[in-house]
Amino acid sequence: MIVTTLKPLDEILESIFPYRKILIAGCDGCTQPPRGIREAKTLKQLLELAGQLKGKEFEFKVTSVVKQCDSVLTVSAIKPYVEDVEAVLSLACGAGPQTVAKFFPDLPVLPAQNSNFIGIDDRQEGQMFDSCSACGDCILALTGGICPVTRCSKGLLNGACGGASNGKCELDPERDCAWELIYERLRRLGKLDLIKKFTPAKDYSASGWMVTP
Amino acid sequence: MSQPVAEPKVAVNINEDYCSRCTICGSLCPYDAITKDHENNIMVLDIEKCQVCGICYSACPAKAIDTIYYSSSSLMKYLEKARPRYKSDNLVIMCKGSAPDFAGVGKLFGVKDFIPLSVPCVGRISEDLLLGVLADGIKKIDILACDEDYCRFHRGSPLTGRRVIALNRLLEQLGYGPEAITLKRNSLKVTVDKDLCIACGNCVFYCPYNAPTLTSAGGISFDLDACRGCGLCVALCPAFALDLDNWERDRISNLIPQMLAEMKPPKILVFRCQWAVYPPLNGDMGPNIGTIELPCAGRIEAFHILEAIQSGADGVMVVACSEDDCKQEKVSAKAEHVVANIKAKLDQIGLGDKLNFASVSPRYPGQVEEKVREFRQSLKGAKKGIKKGEDK
Repeated sequence: MIVTTLKPLDEILESIFPYRKILIAGCDGCTQPPRGIREAKTLKQLLELAGQLKGKEFEFKVTSVVKQCDSVLTVSAIKPYVEDVEAVLSLACGAGPQTVAKFFPDLPVLPAQNSNFIGIDDRQEGQMFDSCSACGDCILALTGGICPVTRCSKGLLNGACGGASNGKCELDPERDCAWELIYERLRRLGKLDLIKKFTPAKDYSASGWMVTP
Repeated sequence: MSQPVAEPKVAVNINEDYCSRCTICGSLCPYDAITKDHENNIMVLDIEKCQVCGICYSACPAKAIDTIYYSSSSLMKYLEKARPRYKSDNLVIMCKGSAPDFAGVGKLFGVKDFIPLSVPCVGRISEDLLLGVLADGIKKIDILACDEDYCRFHRGSPLTGRRVIALNRLLEQLGYGPEAITLKRNSLKVTVDKDLCIACGNCVFYCPYNAPTLTSAGGISFDLDACRGCGLCVALCPAFALDLDNWERDRISNLIPQMLAEMKPPKILVFRCQWAVYPPLNGDMGPNIGTIELPCAGRIEAFHILEAIQSGADGVMVVACSEDDCKQEKVSAKAEHVVANIKAKLDQIGLGDKLNFASVSPRYPGQVEEKVREFRQSLKGAKKGIKKGEDK
């Protein structure tokens, strides 16, 4: 899912300050942690309190959209509020505010989240990990289900580079060497021959900017 | 140089002079807190293990165990005052853990007017107290215990079941009819609104008892036999799709402004786990302190904390058991995390000082009062109050 973090409240407050009537729109979709109706209401309460301290009285409405990246769902969820609000504060990933911007050309939309990456939510460790760069040309079949484009600091398609020590990347000693993980995984699966397969330079244009399903 | 440290006062004590060393207390203690010291021929209570359920107190044949909470004599005194107030000869004794509100309890027993007595575990009620109450003129006793596998102290509910059977046989012989004392069991569990579920899986991950399973959006289902009613999933559900019997979100939301309206500043609202603090009968903590009981600190919602601050609370405290004392599977630690999380956000707008988390145990009477006092002191130091336009 798309991993996001809440922006500092000061920053959100500054961005919404010119407006008084604001719709806080959560997203039940893939944002992790979920930014649904609870998150929207909690943010409402926090911003009301912060506004009071600064002598500003906001009038918030809250809703949550099943998927804010879906034009139909977003339009139908936001439309009932359009007449009543001056701006939308979106709790979705970067796609959410842009959906609102595209279909409500006269309505200002502001992001409440920073979108970090497409990632794995490791519940046990309580951490989320960057795992997909949406490169448009998936090679996980060759790499044991571990993405070197995302997880190798150098984005190498044919590794390892030889710079790792104790399984950690030379550029970031906190970070596992993706190619060592790939090697171990392929060995475990008895597919080490795959590591010898050469992957030519990637055609990143395949990632593209528009897809017609 | 080491200072002499006064032994902290504790909630349960064994009086050696009365103790006959029968070891019944030790055999009934769910926590192995009482053992026999064979060398010195005395019963020894390890207060750190004690969870203050009161089972030993009610079971000791020699009345050698003292407890400062809900002792038989204090309960008799309470009854004396409560009888004219409630204008009834029907006593309903209920365990906090499974009792809905008083109206709900009455419904369970089919009675309208009754004298309510809410205790943490009915296992602390001794046979002689029940007999004494009947001898005092109470016509009927109803007892609401937890379902046996729901009992927070494991043995309190089963033990009460056996006591009631034995007492009823005795009372029948004395001409009291076949069921002078009725016993019912109950549990308070999660409720689900499938229409609101967004299939995020939070409840599946957080539930310590593997009660929920999720197959698709709206495909959430709970194994209610497994649910232990801690309320953690309810507090963390991002879609408000879950609620908890008797601790419904709306009920707590309504209580918050009600309580604050009756309090005097500086107003401190305390959300307390019902197992961390045993309030005295009819007791309150003064005009500045309001308390809202939770089934477990895990039920605390950031939403309610903010609601309290918005409704004019000068300070909000969440009082939990320590992780080791938690009657649920270490849920109190997760509650601490929830509180820390919302405190970090309040810090960002300069209101973090208004929120405080403390873990206490009823084994140390006065501990919660001390923590509240400390928090109150810290609030005095904090500068900002919420008034409109203050910074202008």
